[in-house]
Amino acid sequence: MSDAVPNPNPETGMVNLFDAEYARCPQPVYRALRSQCPVARQVFGNGPVLSRYEDVIWALRHPEIFSSAMDLQIKLGTERPMIPQQIDPPAQTRYRKILDPRFSRKRMAEIEPDVRRHAGELIDRFIDRGECEFDHEFAVPLPCHAFLSLMGLPQSELGHFLAIKDDIIRPHMKSLDLEEMGRIRERAGHGIYEYFGRVVDERRRAPGDDLVSYLCQAEIDGERLTRNEILDICFLMILAGLDTVTATLGCNVAFLASNPAHREQLVRDPALIPGAVEELLRWETPVTGVPRVVKREVEIHGATLKPGELVTLLIGASNTDEGEFSDPELVDFARERNRHVAFGSGPHRCLGSHLARMELEVALEEWHRRIPEYRVKPGELPRYSPGIREVQYLPLVWDRRA
Amino acid sequence: MDAAACVGHGRCYVLAPEIFGDDERGHCVVAKPEVPAHLEPKARLAADNCPERAIHVDPDARR
Repeated sequence: MSDAVPNPNPETGMVNLFDAEYARCPQPVYRALRSQCPVARQVFGNGPVLSRYEDVIWALRHPEIFSSAMDLQIKLGTERPMIPQQIDPPAQTRYRKILDPRFSRKRMAEIEPDVRRHAGELIDRFIDRGECEFDHEFAVPLPCHAFLSLMGLPQSELGHFLAIKDDIIRPHMKSLDLEEMGRIRERAGHGIYEYFGRVVDERRRAPGDDLVSYLCQAEIDGERLTRNEILDICFLMILAGLDTVTATLGCNVAFLASNPAHREQLVRDPALIPGAVEELLRWETPVTGVPRVVKREVEIHGATLKPGELVTLLIGASNTDEGEFSDPELVDFARERNRHVAFGSGPHRCLGSHLARMELEVALEEWHRRIPEYRVKPGELPRYSPGIREVQYLPLVWDRRA
Repeated sequence: MDAAACVGHGRCYVLAPEIFGDDERGHCVVAKPEVPAHLEPKARLAADNCPERAIHVDPDARR
């Protein structure tokens, strides 16, 4: 807990987005930001923070002012920008044209049976125990399995990828020293380039029907992708494919475990699940904010953003904005009008959103069919990580079958 | 439907498959530009759930 200083502090306009209480329950912080400091500043790094729906979607749709080319500002162990996330249109659009079809809703429907079978197998492992730790027994392995299948990699590589992913996204778990954190990320980044370098060479010789093989053969304007371009796409796939669905599953099930009326709705009427997935994406927004670099001076609500500043677009805050959503703090699985931007907006709309939706729907369907009544283990509290809100500790209990 | 605004969220063809389809990239294709009266609520539902505000329902367009 962060003593008596309110978060955000209306006197100074400063907000702490790495606070543990904020990670657990960000909505009150969002409300205060939108109403009191629509252009706040981060305690760490002083970067501007936009929180109102209209401001956030305006920024997301103007990449010429709010650029994604920030691989030099945000050090993630890469040697070049990740493709397509860290480059701007029009180059970004050319990559999306070859990537989007591989992640379309229709294509994701083809792998749904495999994801469903795997969800069932995971549940088989712990259902008779009457308890599990949801994060490492379900939320982590489910999307990782799908990722490895899509990339055509053996499931035995799982531990290796999880370690690399954690070193890049959460180096602070190993060291709080900034330079050491940089070295941890660099080492992990090297590991990714080396590993996928070998995979690319192998798939060029013997292609399969996986994503890496597809990238080896894909053409933009009649030209094949270079080896580095393929590696820069693979780098992004690891970061984007291994963490976000895990976080969303944890946030969703933690909510349902603590809100029995909502949970019972899904058990009674599984047809509500797709709507529930959208509403929980809106309410929980596990990827709370996305960064952009300011390209030219711009004034918002009387505050000036300067070129080169790293701005956070707080999509979580925009998803509870009363200017856009009626009754925004009510979680309503039958909400009729829901233009949430949990997957972003504009040209960088999450490439994996259809994969994510399918995984989330299948997970909630299988879970509630098999384990309709569950709750957080008495005396325990779920633990949320700051940044991407992964519920890293979520002990659940249920009555064992007689 | 404003094709320049569509980025492929896919909310429309999930919520109103009778009216909207998708192209190879998963972007919206309007299969039924003239919406029969009984499907008008579905058209509105799709418009109300498009994060890009790319869909417009014009009730006067119908003769």
